[in-house]
Amino acid sequence: MIKRRQFLILGSLLGLSPYIEAKALSAFERSFKPIEPTIAAVQEHLFPEGSKIPSARSMHVTAFLFETVSHKSYDKDIRAFLIEGAVELDKRTKGRFVSLSLSDKEKALRAYEETNYGSNWLSRIMTLTMEGLFCDPIYGSNVKEAGWKALNAYGGFPRPKTRYLGV
Amino acid sequence: MNIYDVVIIGSGASGGAVAYTLCKAGYKVAVLEKGRLIKRGEFSKDELAYCRRDLVTPNLFDEYHTIEEKVDGEWVATPTYESGWSFWNGNIVGGSSNLMSGMLHRLHPDDFRLKSKYGEIKGANVVDWPIAYADMEPYYALTEELVGISGHYEKHPFEPYRSTQNFTQSPTKENAVVKLLDKSCRELDITPLVTPRAVLSKDKPGRDACYYSNLCGSYGCSSGAKGSSREALLKPALATGNLTLMSNTYVKSLHTDKKEAVDHAVVVDTITGKEKHIKGKIFVVAAQAHESARLLLNSSNAHHPDGLGNSSGELGKNLLFSGGGSGQGELHKESLKHIKFEDLMSTGLFVNRSVLDWYFIDHWWDGKFKGGSVEFMFEHQNIITRARKNGYENGKLLWGKALGDRVVKRFTEQKSIRFEIFNDWLPNDNCFVSLDPTHKDKYGMPVGKLRVEGHPQDVKVGKYIAKKCEKILEEMGAKNIYSGVSSAPPQNLVAGGCRFGNDPKTSVLNKYCRSHDVKNLFVADASFMPTGGSVAYTWTIYANAFRVADHIVDTLKKG
Repeated sequence: MIKRRQFLILGSLLGLSPYIEAKALSAFERSFKPIEPTIAAVQEHLFPEGSKIPSARSMHVTAFLFETVSHKSYDKDIRAFLIEGAVELDKRTKGRFVSLSLSDKEKALRAYEETNYGSNWLSRIMTLTMEGLFCDPIYGSNVKEAGWKALNAYGGFPRPKTRYLGV
Repeated sequence: MNIYDVVIIGSGASGGAVAYTLCKAGYKVAVLEKGRLIKRGEFSKDELAYCRRDLVTPNLFDEYHTIEEKVDGEWVATPTYESGWSFWNGNIVGGSSNLMSGMLHRLHPDDFRLKSKYGEIKGANVVDWPIAYADMEPYYALTEELVGISGHYEKHPFEPYRSTQNFTQSPTKENAVVKLLDKSCRELDITPLVTPRAVLSKDKPGRDACYYSNLCGSYGCSSGAKGSSREALLKPALATGNLTLMSNTYVKSLHTDKKEAVDHAVVVDTITGKEKHIKGKIFVVAAQAHESARLLLNSSNAHHPDGLGNSSGELGKNLLFSGGGSGQGELHKESLKHIKFEDLMSTGLFVNRSVLDWYFIDHWWDGKFKGGSVEFMFEHQNIITRARKNGYENGKLLWGKALGDRVVKRFTEQKSIRFEIFNDWLPNDNCFVSLDPTHKDKYGMPVGKLRVEGHPQDVKVGKYIAKKCEKILEEMGAKNIYSGVSSAPPQNLVAGGCRFGNDPKTSVLNKYCRSHDVKNLFVADASFMPTGGSVAYTWTIYANAFRVADHIVDTLKKG
C-alpha cells in the first residue's frame, strides 16, 4: 500500500516522466542484451583468473556495468557509445570475438586499441570494470570486498547504506 | 506575505556566516539553496557517488556553463555538457564547504595592497583593496573560533599577525611522513609550517572531533569535525528559531520595483517546478562568484538594463581563479629514509604542512615579485581513481596479469606525496563571466559564459615555486617526481566578478560589499575580491562574510 501511495505522489509531481524513463531504460536493455556476451568477454580478458586482483568473472562486473550505465547519473551519450563500441568490435571480429582463442582476443583488442574509437571504448570498459572492482560492495561488485583486500585499501567509514545517495 | 529581514541566496561559507550572525542578532532570515539537504548522518565514503557522478552537483545536461577559450586566435565557447568540465562545486545545503579539504590560510597584509607594494603589472588589472588586513583580522579570529580551525602558530616572516596567541584547537594528528618532510625542508633551509585546517582535533559543542576516516576532501564529514557552513553555522542558526532554510530552491532573478531596492527574489521549487516570490528588506547574494554575477546579470530590468548594480559596467569582470598547480612523487618501500614503511602506510592521518617561504620573492638574481603558498598532502586516497591511474604503460592500456601486478605493487609498496601551489590569478580583461546569448539552463535562464584566460605571470610564478617543491620531494627520496603548472583555471577556487572599491565608477560593491547602486543588495561571497591573494579562499570568504554581516546588523539596527 505504502509503495503504491508513494508511486501516486511521485506520479502527480513528475507527470509522466517516470513512465517515460522506464521505457527508455528497457530500450537500452534491449540494445544491451545482444552485445552483453562481447562486453563480458572483454572484461574477462582484461581481468583474467589468476591475477593479483580479482577476476571479472568472480566480481559480477558485467551486471555492475549494466546497472551503472543504466542509472540516470550516467552520461547518456557514453551509455550509447558503450553499445556502439561493442557492436563495432563484433563487426571487426565477424561476430566471433567471444569464441576467439586467448591470443586472438589479445590481437583483436590490441588492434582495436590502435583506432581512436577503439582506444576510447576500451578505456571506458576498463574504467567501468575498475569502478565495479573497487567501489563499495553495495553496488553489487567488489564481492566481499575482495577488490579492496587485494590492494589492502579499504573505503572509509561510514559506508553507504543506499546506492547513489538514494537518488 | 512573509517579509524576511534578510534573504540570503546560497548556503555555503558566506551565506552561512551571514545567516548565523543575523539569526543570533534576532533577525528573521531566509536562506535559499538550490541543492538538497544532506544531513551529517547521511554522508558516507561512497567514491562512486561523491567523486565519479554528478550527484552533489547538477547534471550538466540540466545546468551548465559555457567556457570560452582561445583557439587559433578566436574565442570559442564550449558548453560544459560537451566537455564534462564541470564548474559546479557542491550544490547541497552548506555548499562546497561540506566537501573541502579545509587547508586554510589567512591572506597576508600585503595582499590588501598589491598595487602599492608591487606596482602595475602589464596586462593585469591590479588594484589595492578599500580595506586593510586590520579590518579583516578580528573576523579571521572569529572564523577560527566559530568554524573551528585547528593548527599551531609559528612565527614566520610571511605569516600575518594574529590578535590571539595560538589556535584553540591543536593540530589534527599527523602521519609519520611529517618527520621526513620537516627534516628534508630543513636540509634545504626551508621552513615547514603547520597547516591550519578547518577540521576539529577536539570535540566542540554539537560536533565531534575528527575520526580520521582517510577520505576527507570531496566527502561530507560524518562527525561534524569539518568546519562546513552547515555544521558550524547553519545548525546553530536554525537553533535560534530565526532561520527559514529553503533547500531545493533555485533563484531565477532578483526583482526591483524601485530603482534602488530589491523587492523580491523570483524562485523555483526544483521538485515541483512551482514559481514563487520571496520578499525581504535586505538581499544577500552568496551563490559562489561566477554564479552570483550571473544572477545579477540575469536580474536586469528597465532600471538596470545591463544587470543589477552594474552602472560601473564592472559586473562579472575580473573573475579570479587560482594560479599554480601541483606535483607529486612516490615514496618507495625499499628506499624509504628516516621513517618506518608501516608508519607511512598507516591511513587517515594528515600531512598538515605548508610552506610560505616563497609568498613574496625578493632575490638578488630572481628579482622581486609576488609568489605563493604551498600545501603538502598525500595523493587523494580514492581507491578507484588511484587504481585507474596506474592502468597505462607507454600510453597503452595495461591489462591482464600485468595490470594486477602493477596495481597491487602501487598500493602496497609505495605511497605518493603531493604538493599544491597557490599563487595569484592576476585579474585581467580576458577572465570574466557574462550571459551566454543562446544557452539556457533547464529553468529557462541564460547560463554563465566564462572566459578563463590567465595572465602569463601566473604560470611563471607557479613554475618557479614548483621547481623548489620538486627539490623537497627529491630530498625526501621520492621517485618519479613530476609537477604540472598550467594556465587552466581550477574550477573549485573562484572569486571576483563584483569587485569592491570606493569609486562607484570602477567597482560594483562598496567596502561593506553593498551594491553601489542598489541600497539593500549585498554580495557576501568571494565575488568582492579585486585580487585573490595566494592562498585558498575559504578562510577569507568566511571572515569577510562575518564582517559584512556585522555591517548588515548595524544597518538594520538603524532602521
